[in-house]
Amino acid sequence: MPTEREFQVAPIVPESVMHNTKALSNLQSLSASIFGVAAGILGLESYSGFLFYFIFTILTTMLFYTFRVAPTSLKSGLGAFDTSRYFRTQYEFWAGGVFGGLAGYILTWTLFYGLVRA
Amino acid sequence: MTWFSKSTTTFGFLLLAHACYSAYEHSALQSHRAASLSSLSATQQQAASSSLPLDISLETIVATVIITLGLVLNTAKLRPIQWRVWAGQIERAGEEGARSSSGEVDKDYVGNPFKLLESRPGFVDIRKQRKEFAEWVKQQ
Repeated sequence: MPTEREFQVAPIVPESVMHNTKALSNLQSLSASIFGVAAGILGLESYSGFLFYFIFTILTTMLFYTFRVAPTSLKSGLGAFDTSRYFRTQYEFWAGGVFGGLAGYILTWTLFYGLVRA
Repeated sequence: MTWFSKSTTTFGFLLLAHACYSAYEHSALQSHRAASLSSLSATQQQAASSSLPLDISLETIVATVIITLGLVLNTAKLRPIQWRVWAGQIERAGEEGARSSSGEVDKDYVGNPFKLLESRPGFVDIRKQRKEFAEWVKQQ
């Protein structure tokens, strides 16, 4: 964790933090609903459905890293998979959206499961 | 880039809708077949819901990946959170750096945060203005 002293030396812009977090969480919740539709069509049940969700959420985060974070982050000299240019903690980026989209996922999953297998 | 991400997302949704309809038709057909078979011979029991055909499963997964790609490409550009990096980017790029993919400047773009420090009004020659005012009063 960064200390108070480090925040004084390298101040952080709250507006940018909010903007980035909003972009990521919007993407996560929207894509989670789409994954629910896909899982319902495939007719997944119990653990395989949750496994499907986790695999595709990780895929989304990887795509987001590749297209939005990596081009400028690598150019500025940060290592691979280092998101410190745009996000305060690594945990916030890689795991923050996993549980945020779970409710929307289950909603559309059950809905489309019921629709397809009427 | 915006037309690319939008068309990718639309194409993915079309594929997903097609897969959804195919899966629905498949399950309806399966249940119909099972019902007719059981009416023909009561001993022949068949599971009503067999697994989905491979092409529908593949289409669903491909559609999901395509939609995800389109959504990721449609997200807003990120902004650096460290103040020095962010201010340096604004200094170098200006409004161009805050443009979204559709070519408009973001609504919450604030511009140079140090504008107040960088411009200063010049000194006012108050004696000259006072003299001009006095002459103007005399002319009235």
